[in-house]
Amino acid sequence: MTSTHALSDLPRAALRGVLGVAIVGLIWEALVWALNVPSHTMPRPSQMASAVAATPDAYLSGFLRTLVETLIGFAAGAIVGIGNGVLFSKFTRLRQMVFPLFVVSQTIPVIAFGALVVLWFGNTMLAKSVIAFYLTFFPVTVNTLVGLQAVNPKQEALLRSFGASRWQMLIRLQLPTALPQIFVALRLASTLSLVGAIVGEWFGDTTGLGVLLLQAMYNENMVGLWAAILASALLGTTFYGLMALIERTCVFWRNDL
Amino acid sequence: MLKRRLLLAIGCTLTCVGLGFSSIAAAQDMTKASLRLKWLPQAQFAGFYVAQAKGYYKDEGIDLTINPGGPNVLTENLVAAGTDTFGLSGGTDSVFAARDKGLPVISIGISHQLTPFVFVAKKDGPVKTLKDFEGKNVTTWFTGSNYVLFGMLADQGIDQKKVKIQPQQVSVTPFVDGDVDVVTATWYNELNTIKSRVPEDNLRLFVAEDYGITFPRDTLITSEKVAKENPELVKAFLRATLRGWKDAINDPKGAVDTVMAVAPTLERPHQEAMLTEAARLMEAGSAKDNGLFTIDMAAVQKAHDFLLKYEVVKKPVDLKAAFHPEFLEAIPLSDRKL
Repeated sequence: MTSTHALSDLPRAALRGVLGVAIVGLIWEALVWALNVPSHTMPRPSQMASAVAATPDAYLSGFLRTLVETLIGFAAGAIVGIGNGVLFSKFTRLRQMVFPLFVVSQTIPVIAFGALVVLWFGNTMLAKSVIAFYLTFFPVTVNTLVGLQAVNPKQEALLRSFGASRWQMLIRLQLPTALPQIFVALRLASTLSLVGAIVGEWFGDTTGLGVLLLQAMYNENMVGLWAAILASALLGTTFYGLMALIERTCVFWRNDL
Repeated sequence: MLKRRLLLAIGCTLTCVGLGFSSIAAAQDMTKASLRLKWLPQAQFAGFYVAQAKGYYKDEGIDLTINPGGPNVLTENLVAAGTDTFGLSGGTDSVFAARDKGLPVISIGISHQLTPFVFVAKKDGPVKTLKDFEGKNVTTWFTGSNYVLFGMLADQGIDQKKVKIQPQQVSVTPFVDGDVDVVTATWYNELNTIKSRVPEDNLRLFVAEDYGITFPRDTLITSEKVAKENPELVKAFLRATLRGWKDAINDPKGAVDTVMAVAPTLERPHQEAMLTEAARLMEAGSAKDNGLFTIDMAAVQKAHDFLLKYEVVKKPVDLKAAFHPEFLEAIPLSDRKL
C-alpha cells in the first residue's frame, strides 16, 4: 500500500469512525431509557450533551487548556526522549550511568510526583506540562534506543565504507530505521501526556478537563462526570488519531499499519 | 516661538513619563499574595470569592490569587513552603498536627466555630442511639472526622473496636442504598446531598456538640515568616476577607452567582443550601459576640486536650505560638460582626 492510497482512504475511515460512535450513542440512549437506569448510575448521552450546552464555556476552555498542557508536555517528552535515545545509543557509559536513574524515576507514583511538582511550580500551566513530560519521555527514550539498536550492522558498515560521517549515518540510516519504533512510542506518549495533564490538574486548579472531572466527581454530579470523561476521550482520541496519521505519512514504507 | 514649542514638547514628554511612572508605582504598591483553599471552589468559600470579585483585596493593596484545594493538596505544607501566602486549612486538628511536625504555620482566624461534621443514620434502620453503632457499618473520613467519632463513642463509654469503622469514599450512595448504616456528612455539603436522596424526616443525626465535643474547623493560616515580616499584609487580608464574608452572608444569592462564575458546572440549589449552613457554622458560638473568624481559645484548648488524650497529637502544642488572634483583634469589632 502506498502513502497516497492510505491518505485517500482516510475520509472514508474517519466517516466510519464517526458512524460507529453515533450508533453506539443511539444504542446507549435507547438502552438507558428502555431499562429505566437511574441517571446517577448511567446518564443518557442526550443528558450529557445538555449538560455541556448549559455551560459550554467551562467545557471549551477546559478542553483548550488541557490540550495546550498536553501538547507542551508531549513535545518536550518527545524531543528529550528521542535525544536521550540517540545519546544512549552512542555513549554506552552514559547509558549505564543515567538509564537506571530514569527507571527509578518511573517507579515514583505519579500522584506523589504531582504533589512535589505543585510545591515547586505552583498552579501554573508549566506544572501540568511537567507531569505530562514525566510520563512521556521514558517510553520515547526506551523505544528510540531499541529502534537504534536494531539497525543492521551490515548497512552501517556499507555506509561507513562510502565515507559517511557519524551525523550522516544517524540522519540517513539509523533514525529512519528506528522511526517505526519511535512512532510506537509517540502514539503511546500521546495518550500518556493527556493522563499527565489531567492528573496535574487534580492538584488545585480552576480550568481544565481534570478540574471538571474532579468537581463532578466530588459533587456526585454523574452527568457532569460523564460529560468530562467524554470530552477527555475526544481529546485523547483526536490526538492519537493525529499521531497515527503523521506516522502513516512519515513511515510510508511500512505497510502493516 | 520655536523655543516655546520646544518647552511645551519637553513639558508634555515629562508629564507623560511622570504619569507612566506613577502608574507603574501604583502597580508596584500591590502586594502579590495567594490563598490556598481546603477544597474545590464551592459556596463554602463564597466570602473569599466575593471579596475577590468586588475588589476588596485590591482596595487593601493585595493582588490576590485564590488557588483551589483538592484531594491531594496539603494546605499546611504549601503555606509552610511559601508556595501560598495564606491558606484555609483543615481545622484546629490539622494546625496541631502541622505544629507537631514542626511546620512553621500559624492560625490567624477560625471560620467554623462548631463541629462541621454530623453522623447520619436512617430512622427506619437499626441505629437508634450511639450505643447501636456497635457491630454496625460506620464510614468516616480519616482526615479529622474520625477523631470526632472516637470522641463521641468514648463519651458514651463505647469501645470503638466494636464498631465496624471503614474509611468513607467519595459517594454517599452506599448509605442511601443501605450498605452502610452510619455515614459521616458535613452540615454544608454531604448532608444536603443525602437529603436530596433520602426523605429528611427519615434521617437521624448524631451531633458532636450533644456529646460535649466541639471541633472548630476551617482555619485561616499563614507562615511565621509572613506574619513576622509583613503583619500589615495579614491584617489587610483579614479586613478584605471579613468584608467579603459579610457581603456573602447578607446577599447569599449574589454570593452564589460569584462562586458559580468560578465553577459554572456547580448546581445552584446545592450551593445555596451550602452557603446557608456554612454561614450558620461561622456565626455560631463565640463568633456571636466576637465576630467572624474569631479564635475561641477555650474551644481550641478543649480540642487540643482531647487529641492529646487520644495521642493523635504526640506532645502538647504551644497554643500561644500556634494561634494568633492579635491580627484579627487589630480590626475594630464592628467590622468583624455582622
